[in-house]
Amino acid sequence: MARPTSQPRSFPFLTVFVVLGLSAYAVFHLRAVLAPFFLSIALAYLLNPVINWMESQGLRREAAVVLFYIVVAGALTVAAQQVLPGIKEEFLELKQHLPAYLDHGQEALLRTQAKVLRWLPVEPVAAKGYTDKIYEPIIAQIQNVPSYLVGLFPFLSLFFLIPFITFFLLLDWHNILSGFIQLVPGRYVEQTLYLISEVETSLGNYLRGATIVVAAVGTASYVGLRILGIKYSIAIAALSGLASFIPYMGAILGAGVGCVAAWVQTGSILAGLKVVLLFTGIRLADEAFVQPVVSKHAVKLHPLVYLLSLMVGGELFGFVGLVFAVPAACIIKALLKVGWEWYTTEGYLVAPPLEGESSPYT
Amino acid sequence: MFKLLKKLFTDPELHKKKVFLRSLELFKDLSSKDLGFLVRSLHSRTYKEGEVIFEEGDIGRAMFILETGRVELGMREAASGKTRKIFTLESGDFFGEMAMLERLPRSASARAIERSHIHLLYRANLEEILHYHPRIGVSVMTHLAHLMSMRLRHANKLALVHQPPTYG
Repeated sequence: MARPTSQPRSFPFLTVFVVLGLSAYAVFHLRAVLAPFFLSIALAYLLNPVINWMESQGLRREAAVVLFYIVVAGALTVAAQQVLPGIKEEFLELKQHLPAYLDHGQEALLRTQAKVLRWLPVEPVAAKGYTDKIYEPIIAQIQNVPSYLVGLFPFLSLFFLIPFITFFLLLDWHNILSGFIQLVPGRYVEQTLYLISEVETSLGNYLRGATIVVAAVGTASYVGLRILGIKYSIAIAALSGLASFIPYMGAILGAGVGCVAAWVQTGSILAGLKVVLLFTGIRLADEAFVQPVVSKHAVKLHPLVYLLSLMVGGELFGFVGLVFAVPAACIIKALLKVGWEWYTTEGYLVAPPLEGESSPYT
Repeated sequence: MFKLLKKLFTDPELHKKKVFLRSLELFKDLSSKDLGFLVRSLHSRTYKEGEVIFEEGDIGRAMFILETGRVELGMREAASGKTRKIFTLESGDFFGEMAMLERLPRSASARAIERSHIHLLYRANLEEILHYHPRIGVSVMTHLAHLMSMRLRHANKLALVHQPPTYG
């Protein structure tokens, strides 16, 4: 096959990079405001295939979205009737017992400090100075627990804001995409669709995979903690499940918080160890049964890239950065892949593959 | 009452698109449900008069189905470097399928010669159809293979006609 005779095109790489850079700068400064929008886009990504399916059956998109919201709202109402009394009970009990638990925790820490002091082969006064330096921040953090709990309340508004934004995103998903494609110069439509397809594949697969893991870990944690008779199992399971968005974090947090809760509630370290064993089992089961299903379609990121993206996300955006670090890494990976292919093929740095070129045809 | 409900809940645009797609040779064997899935896999764009759709040498990743308007295909002449018109496509024609299948540079340029509404079947969407709705995929691919085979026979005939006579 003859090489194309056209001259390499001058794609406006500089313009694209300037626009991307300015967008990143704007996102960084508006991160707090944009967080609910990003979460809504992620949710819309997850739900869009369902709406598309309903639409392909002949339903008007508006009707499909409204119908879906009604069904989900109904299911959530039924679920809430089952779960809310449990949450309320847990919350009231926590409110009643939290001061006692905190005192208990402080006493336990002071007892451990005293024991450590006896074991250390240094002067008691000097040793107390060192151990105080270690324990003081922990005790200070324990005293801050109630304010942390109150600090979570602003996040509750997201439960109303995100479905609201998602509703409009789902309604106009095709219009937004079509509008964007219409804006792109005709000749670059195929490349743009290629980019969208790559981003959709990697981001969609990550989000769907992560949702499966979160649901599986959350449910398994709740069932396990109930069997072990640990109080506040809903809260601990929810924490562990949500933290599973970050690899390994769900099991670590679940084991840590669950172990302390079991220890404080029963006064026995054995109960705490049982919880640690439970979360080790959940982590292993996740690796053996859930990950093979999820990772089949999941994004292929090197563990070090995973770690780096989490560290950079956490450093730049705090907690929100941790949540969006991996999806952002997926998008950056897709952008780099498409950008590099674009650059090499446009500049004719590589010849396109000529499959079956030498085969004679009949 | 039933009519009102139907009007409220069904998508007239989807019905229009299905009717158009069924009128094409490529999709004529698909059921209404299959066409519904196919419509969701297509992207649409309106090209202004004179707008370039793709150029010879561009890497092809999509097939184009012309719903309304007219599109001109042209090839660059090696000697003069000028683009020579080779074909004009009308409503209902499709083009760009060869490069989409092979992911090779386009063998011709395409330009809208009047305002044209075009549906794009992107390669990844075709692969998704093949994977999740193999019945649709097989039907589309069979028609494409049939089309390619016909073109190849035609090209063979032309090659034989233009071959210099041999003696001895």
